[in-house]
Amino acid sequence: MKQDQPEQESFLGLRLLAICLLALSLIVLYYAFQIRQGAGYSVVGTLFFPLVVVIGLVVFSLLLLLRTTPLFPDHELGQRAAAEAATTHWATVGLIGLALLLYAFTLNLLGYVIATALFFPGVARILDSRQPLRDFIIGLVLSVVIYISFTRFLGVRLPAGLLAGIL
Amino acid sequence: MDVLGNLLSGFATALTPWYLLLALIGVTLGTLVGVLPGIGPALTVALLLPLTYNFDPTGALIMFAGIYYGGMYGGSTTSILLNTPGESASVATTLEGFQMAKAGRGGAALATAAIGSFVAGTISTLALSFVAPIIADFALLFQPADYFALTVSAFVCVTSLIGRSLLRGMVSLFIGLLIGLIGIDVLTGQPRFTFGLAELLDGLDIVVVAVGLFAVGEALYVAARLRHDKEEIIPVKGGVWMTRGEWRRSWLPWLRGAMIGFPFGALPAGGAEIPTFLSYSLEKRLSKHKAEWGRGAIEGVAGPEAANNAAFSGVLVPLLTLGLPTSATAAILLVAFQIYNLQPGPLLFLNSPELVWALIASLYIGNVMLLLLNLPLIRIWVKILAIPRSLLYAGILVFATLGVYSSANSVVDVLLMYAIGVLGFFMRRYDFPVGPTVLGVILMPLAEAQFRRALLISQGSLSVFFTRPLSLTIFIITALALILPYLPALLSKLRGEPAPMGRLVFGEGSED
Repeated sequence: MKQDQPEQESFLGLRLLAICLLALSLIVLYYAFQIRQGAGYSVVGTLFFPLVVVIGLVVFSLLLLLRTTPLFPDHELGQRAAAEAATTHWATVGLIGLALLLYAFTLNLLGYVIATALFFPGVARILDSRQPLRDFIIGLVLSVVIYISFTRFLGVRLPAGLLAGIL
Repeated sequence: MDVLGNLLSGFATALTPWYLLLALIGVTLGTLVGVLPGIGPALTVALLLPLTYNFDPTGALIMFAGIYYGGMYGGSTTSILLNTPGESASVATTLEGFQMAKAGRGGAALATAAIGSFVAGTISTLALSFVAPIIADFALLFQPADYFALTVSAFVCVTSLIGRSLLRGMVSLFIGLLIGLIGIDVLTGQPRFTFGLAELLDGLDIVVVAVGLFAVGEALYVAARLRHDKEEIIPVKGGVWMTRGEWRRSWLPWLRGAMIGFPFGALPAGGAEIPTFLSYSLEKRLSKHKAEWGRGAIEGVAGPEAANNAAFSGVLVPLLTLGLPTSATAAILLVAFQIYNLQPGPLLFLNSPELVWALIASLYIGNVMLLLLNLPLIRIWVKILAIPRSLLYAGILVFATLGVYSSANSVVDVLLMYAIGVLGFFMRRYDFPVGPTVLGVILMPLAEAQFRRALLISQGSLSVFFTRPLSLTIFIITALALILPYLPALLSKLRGEPAPMGRLVFGEGSED
């Protein structure tokens, strides 16, 4: 395995991250110039801090990018990135992300109880659980208990969704 | 005298059966959630925030204090038995604590952590009771320039002293600052960086940021490595009580930890991380049992745990007297204040004394309850660690979503929280400290408002920051904090010796 060779370095992921950061901060810089100055009197305007912060972010992303190139490589970080790359299972991360998105969109549509009762065993399965029935029952109990205790006793509103007339 | 009278009336409020019950519920729930691996006190408090919406302000804050103490204690349990610190302030505890657990002294490690937390918590709450009113009086003299200097000092300290790389710390800080700028400009009413989303007009809530970074970021990170890492849970073998020798070796570190923790927590420099590591190295240097270090020296658990707990009372000093939250937990506590339209600051002690003193009294009570609850129940809490990780992280995601959704009933907030979670995943993966981001989000609005107010008063002259003795002093100390990590290397260079290492590191900076 790769972790037997600690001198291994990997900069690809880091470089991508730095480029994403840089691109994002440039986009935000564009938006910063769209901010309208307020009408009220102030010595330092609405725009001052956004510009300082965004330009700072552009500079630091650039520096970060530089440290992932052969010019000024950060060896310690490169080794860490290599060790991480060796242990990362991207499919799991992607599936969890997908499950989260589905969960957020089904919360209002299906209601809290149904969405959660589906989400919980789903994530457990993605995380390598092999007992779907147990997970489903736990998820169902959890969602019903949360729904009832939050809406009845804590005064927090949660979407009823499809079960509107029943719960 | 005045303090004692106020404190007594605070106890009179906090000792009513209803508030005692709330404190008990808080401590129990806090421990329950805090024991879950990867969940630190900040996240515990953020996730349990919705539970307090229904109570009166005093009740909610009393419950909060309980939740926090419980969360912190629960966190030390996972650090010792699982080697998974829920937050960076617990990292120092894992170093010796996990070794003790492996050597079959897990029970003693948990006991010294609990009793040390109690001792340090009591000492530091006492210090808080006497120091806070004095600082609150003093803080009435603070002008915008001084507040701005304080926020800058907090930014610099947390970025420069914590984490392995200054550059990554700066990236982390500026991401936080940017998030902190989102929303309507307080002075002119212009929306900034809202990208047309109505949800962003009020800014991005710190609960959304903290839960995203800590809960979702952590869950994604664990998910990525799940098939690779195998965890080991160390069963608590032997007695859960300490031997006479362990008592003798623990009490001095407890006291020293409390002494280090409180002042460092009270400085606007980012909470409990630095004092826990300082306490760890101090105990290591002073220990008579040097051979045991690295194989489970009890001083290495007693000192940092005491420092960790004392630092929390310390963090309450700037929070209550200046309205300046210097850690993620303090920021979420500030949210709790603001829900009830209370603004911590010098005027809080004047306007709502009964609430402040009830809160301080409940810190004492929470501490006692924690000790009574946890020592006998250690074996039960440990059982929670046996929950399979697949269910655990599914549950954490459910509760994270619930916590954010229920605060504003907004799916957009939930999606933003997930997006910040993805950011948190990459930050954890590439060893970016998360603390600066959190501090940036919390303090940016304050820093900007005070900067502009200061210039408004001085009619645009920047000299206001350097002519006031207070702000000048703070800026000088800040500059020193920036240089400090490079000092050993610099000194040896001047002496013509080979540099020992790049820069001093005061903590890992992996979380909060």
